[in-house]
Amino acid sequence: MIAVAAGPNRIDPYLIPALDGVAYGLLVFVAASGLVFCFGVANILNLAHGLLYAIGGYTAAALLDGGWASLALALGVGVLAAAAAGVLLAGLLTPVATGSHLSQALLTFGVALAGGSLLVAGFGPDDPQVQVPAALEGSVVVAGHRYAAYRLVFIVVAAVLAAALYLVVRRTRAGMLVRAAVDDPEMVACLGVSPARIRAGVLAAAGALAGAAGVLGAPIIGPGTDTADTVLLLSLVVVVLGGLGSMAGTLLAALAIGEIQTLGVALLPSAAPFLLFAAMAAVLAVRARGLAGRWRAA
Amino acid sequence: MPLTKPWRSRALTAALLATVLTTGTACGDDAPGTSAGGSIKIGLLASLSGTYQAVGTEIRDGFQLYLDTHDGKLGGRQVDLVVADEGNGAQTAVPAATKLLKQDRVSALTGIVGGGSVAGVTPLLNETKVPLVGSNGRPELKDVSRVWHTSYLSDEPGAAIAQHVRDNVKGSVYAIGPDYQGGWDELRGFTDAFGKIGGKLANADGKTTFTPFPATTNFLPYFARIKASGAAAVYTFYAGSAAVDFVKQYAQSEIKDIPLYAAGFLTEGGVLNAQGEAARDIYSVLNYSPDLDNAENRAFVAAWKAKHDGSPTTYALASYDAAAVLDRAIGAAGSDPTPEAINTAIGQLGQIASPRGTWQFSTTTHSPVQKWYLRQVRQDGRALSNTVVGDLATVGR
Repeated sequence: MIAVAAGPNRIDPYLIPALDGVAYGLLVFVAASGLVFCFGVANILNLAHGLLYAIGGYTAAALLDGGWASLALALGVGVLAAAAAGVLLAGLLTPVATGSHLSQALLTFGVALAGGSLLVAGFGPDDPQVQVPAALEGSVVVAGHRYAAYRLVFIVVAAVLAAALYLVVRRTRAGMLVRAAVDDPEMVACLGVSPARIRAGVLAAAGALAGAAGVLGAPIIGPGTDTADTVLLLSLVVVVLGGLGSMAGTLLAALAIGEIQTLGVALLPSAAPFLLFAAMAAVLAVRARGLAGRWRAA
Repeated sequence: MPLTKPWRSRALTAALLATVLTTGTACGDDAPGTSAGGSIKIGLLASLSGTYQAVGTEIRDGFQLYLDTHDGKLGGRQVDLVVADEGNGAQTAVPAATKLLKQDRVSALTGIVGGGSVAGVTPLLNETKVPLVGSNGRPELKDVSRVWHTSYLSDEPGAAIAQHVRDNVKGSVYAIGPDYQGGWDELRGFTDAFGKIGGKLANADGKTTFTPFPATTNFLPYFARIKASGAAAVYTFYAGSAAVDFVKQYAQSEIKDIPLYAAGFLTEGGVLNAQGEAARDIYSVLNYSPDLDNAENRAFVAAWKAKHDGSPTTYALASYDAAAVLDRAIGAAGSDPTPEAINTAIGQLGQIASPRGTWQFSTTTHSPVQKWYLRQVRQDGRALSNTVVGDLATVGR
């Protein structure tokens, strides 16, 4: 079932799925990192995270017209809209006791349902189509295989985004505050930084990331009625696999999901419907703390 | 406080019950279907909201077009068309059909997009003894005594194109489709007929590859397997947004030069506009194309284009034909066209002239015995369109 041909051809057919797994994984990383931040830093379980991605996706569908200017515009509008939605969520969450995950989950889930209905009411029940810049519409040849040009460029852009995210968290004052808030929230509060401001800031940043992922990833996980659920589900799987402690864990988990969803499906198509969740169950069974702990220990 | 909530909900239930009962009695003494003024009530059930809104709208417009071009009459009687929303499936379709059949007391029912909705509504038809002239979804049914379809059975497109693929493809064919009832039927129609005439599948285990539906939005892993299988052609069936994803990704993938054959829904209607250039050259099989050259079709397409943007789809055509069937059956049912008389008359219609060419109801399945056409996506003026390039088999059983 797995072996298709002998010799070097045994690996060859799986090059493109493996490459596509990187594209998919990086998209999941950018989309999920916002949720991981919210959960890990501000201790907010934001079930409306998929909605923030969908806002970016619908923005892309509405604004993209095949030109580069429209891509820049869509990216700007999508990031701002999703970040604004994040701040709005932070405002709604103010009365909810910090750390009460059940109340947060119920509130944000309600917002996700209402927001999803608003998007459908505004953009219609059909999945809208996304038009990428004409120059990226075609395909390129990679190691003797044809691959969509947009996805190849997306890998580069998403890698740059991931690197930038790493530098911001590692090297800037905002990043330091965020890391400090994970380690010792009381001390950060003592330093005079209001927890409410951190919460609003983190949700805005999470929204911006999800919005950017939604716009750039629209040709890969396109906007539609199921998008918010799909992205939320994938993000939660990232949390389970990667834990909340480190960016490396999140990245590793996202890439693993990407490869499972593409390379895994290419290798075992009959297992496609449950491959991802089988992998998640296996990780939980072997190591309840997720891949991250293992990664750190190694 | 603990008392208020249950009390409120009970009050609400009571109020609802009262409303239902009042409407029930008010309509209880209506004459069924026809009235003295020579008019007749027809119920049209279609998805006017939800996932299949586009198809449902075409079905409503196709029926309305027939009425508009025939003075609003079917069988010489003024038609009182009652339209209801089918929604996404049986859950919403059954209550809507119940209202049409029991409250509005229509003489015949038409439309219905989803196969599941048809299956849900069928028991109601036998209970109220009203015929359904369905124009799209057609599930596997044991009892078709009051069910008629102007569309097709799901396994017929594949069966109709199998011989053509066998004759024109030198090598094995890879079969791939969505993992749900419609996908199984469509693909089985092709693989069964293809296997019988000596065709060979390229799939690793000789069986069709089914992709999780609707979860699959990335088809690249499957394309890699198709490439590795050495297939000379691909046969598929997808509809809606999955069709757009499949076709767009196919055109950018490493198998873009492998000929793609499909059941016509892959490139039918709105999805073709969304696919754009990516759909060029795809072959598909369908029972209708707007460029068919016959008098009925020229009149149908001209009347459609006068009211709508773009060309009519097979969905609109099937609904237009459902109206034509009812027109003749009501006319043949005599001075008192009861639902029973209409049902009997439908069974005796014989050949039906239609924009798709002449067809007739099969006596066993109550669905059309009709000719299928091979179409290719080609440039037509400024837009891409499905152009008929040949006749395929006449299928129906």
